[in-house]
Amino acid sequence: MPGTIRSVSLVWVVLLVCLSSRRTSVGAAPICTNGQVGCHVLSLDNLFDRVIQHSARMHGISSDLHSEFEQYFLPSKNQIGRVGRICHTSTIITPNGKENAQRMAREQLTEVILKLLIAWRDPLWHFHQSMAHHHDFNNFSSNKALEMNDMVHELRQGVEKVAEKMQVLGIISNSVTSLASPEVLLPSDSADWRLMKDYDLLYCFRRDSNKVQNYLKILKCRIVPDHGC
Amino acid sequence: MRRDLRGALLLLLTAAVQSSSMSAPGKPVLLSCRSPEKETFTCWWEPGSDGGLPTTHHLYYERERLEGTYECPDYLSAGRNSCFFDKNHTSIWVDYYLTVMASNALGNATSDPFKMDVMEIVKPDAPENVTLRVEEREASPCLHVRWMPPSNTDTKSGWVTIKYELRVKKDNSNNWKEYTSGTQTHFSLYSVSPGGVYTVQVRCLLDHGEWSEWSNTTFVKISNYLQNERPLSMLISILSAILFIMAGLILIAKRKSVKQWVLPPVPGPKIRGINSQLLQSGGSDDVGNVLIIKQSFPPIYFVWEDQMEDYLIVTENEDWLSSNSQKRKKSLIPACFHFDSEIHSKESPCHKNDWEKDEEISQVDNNNKPFTNTGYVDFQRHVENVDVKHVDYSRVKEVKSDNILFLEKEKVQSSGYIHFQRQEGIPEDYSRVKEVESDNLVVLQKQNAADLSCKDEGNHYTDCALHKPRKPHVCTELSDSGYVDTIPAPPLM
Repeated sequence: MPGTIRSVSLVWVVLLVCLSSRRTSVGAAPICTNGQVGCHVLSLDNLFDRVIQHSARMHGISSDLHSEFEQYFLPSKNQIGRVGRICHTSTIITPNGKENAQRMAREQLTEVILKLLIAWRDPLWHFHQSMAHHHDFNNFSSNKALEMNDMVHELRQGVEKVAEKMQVLGIISNSVTSLASPEVLLPSDSADWRLMKDYDLLYCFRRDSNKVQNYLKILKCRIVPDHGC
Repeated sequence: MRRDLRGALLLLLTAAVQSSSMSAPGKPVLLSCRSPEKETFTCWWEPGSDGGLPTTHHLYYERERLEGTYECPDYLSAGRNSCFFDKNHTSIWVDYYLTVMASNALGNATSDPFKMDVMEIVKPDAPENVTLRVEEREASPCLHVRWMPPSNTDTKSGWVTIKYELRVKKDNSNNWKEYTSGTQTHFSLYSVSPGGVYTVQVRCLLDHGEWSEWSNTTFVKISNYLQNERPLSMLISILSAILFIMAGLILIAKRKSVKQWVLPPVPGPKIRGINSQLLQSGGSDDVGNVLIIKQSFPPIYFVWEDQMEDYLIVTENEDWLSSNSQKRKKSLIPACFHFDSEIHSKESPCHKNDWEKDEEISQVDNNNKPFTNTGYVDFQRHVENVDVKHVDYSRVKEVKSDNILFLEKEKVQSSGYIHFQRQEGIPEDYSRVKEVESDNLVVLQKQNAADLSCKDEGNHYTDCALHKPRKPHVCTELSDSGYVDTIPAPPLM
């Protein structure tokens, strides 16, 4: 009699362990493996949501700054021909529409996002410096420039985390080279951003931040489609 | 004549010219472009004057990162004076430079270039299929609004994120109340009241673009069903009012017992020595004296002069002595100590044998003070229960030498003697009356040698008390409860 009770309880325990382990193993490989205190596991869709929110905010700030610049400088909007700006990121091949973005491979899309973010690291820093020295702008604008600069940095780290997680989960292959050496990504013949004026810099960044936001959203709904797409 | 002819000809010519004013067309103006879903876009222009001739318009564009000039792919889908760019011809994040050219037989006219990026011109269509549903709950009704996103937007792929806003107005007022709905396609309104017509409109926004137009109005009437509920609530209120009144009546009828229960009578204080019966009967003078003495107020001196003095008799009952002397002595000690430490300038009551002035009486009162810490001295006079022997005292007028006392003659009683404590172990501070001569001279017995030293310093015995180190004066008696009763002193001699 006690033997049967023991065996039955053992079976229950085993069942419970199996069930609980099955639940936890779905879609969540732990990022912190060292058992660090206070390190809680984030799911992939959660990570995606965060970086998307971040990119949305970054684009919002760049839009605000751009419209402020337009008020101050009133550049002639309708320049004839292609006298207009050439962004230093023009050499990075980016999908220019929804279908093209959807057709692009996940690894490629992730790489494009990372390339863009890396390319803007230095120019934004210098932009912020030049804003700080200009006395025409109020503190509000220069704070925004600083925030923008920080956000690019954080967003890049976030996207790298996402890519890492995707690689761990086996969603993408390990061919994303940006994680290895970021500076390799910048093509050597890119236009020198130092020659660009502040206003053009802002214009280009506004565009690129919008690209990043859209690409991230496409990527998210392709990889984790169930959560709010 | 010729002049008239020439004039007429001129007139004709001008008329002819005016009626058929053919000229090159006026300059068209590009108005705006709009992309409803960030995948296609449409541009509109306004033509200038047509110059009297059939004029055609062509839209040409150049694009960043694309060589050459191209013409509009679709002039028809979006109506007159418009150009529709389908998905194949739309690129986002690139600049378009558009120009419209109007041309007729006489010439062309080109509009100013219009630069745009599809990213900047996003404005969605209004949400569709707005439905309202009234949910009637007991407390207040609520309104559920539901709608669909515009049909041409692609939300599944995550390409665009749609945010909604709705506005509500009641009846015919012009005050719209706006609410943001985030990305939900439904919303519940709780601040609606019955008996009104509510109009609801919804609009949406794509990413960072412009808000769409408001959707078509949808309205709903909420029925006034509150009247049905009124009788029920009235009934309930009437019933509860009746119950309250009944409870109140019962309470009033039984108020005495209620009062007894709520506020039970509190036993009053009993002061020993004061007979409440006496108080009530109104023996005011005696009682007044008693009360006056008990208080710690400065004594009313004039009262004393009118009356016979009452003295503080502090003695030890012989009966009590026999029972437990040890205990008594212990209890007696603190009181006396107390006195000695506090009243060193005045006579200690322990051997009160010097009744000189009213000062003494005040002393008595003062002495009462320390006493009260450990007990109180009870004055009893004319109390039936206690058999107090009436004792006569005399006032000492003068002390001569160390053993002669002169008494005052104004004493009521003729027999003058001084009362001393008499007990077994008489302390050294007391003196025995040796002899009474005449009616106001008292000779005291001389003390033994041990007390001579203190005697030498003064005549008054207070000095003795001062110099004697803390010897217990068996002068007061304290019962176990701490009360001191006046005991009838046995007359000396």
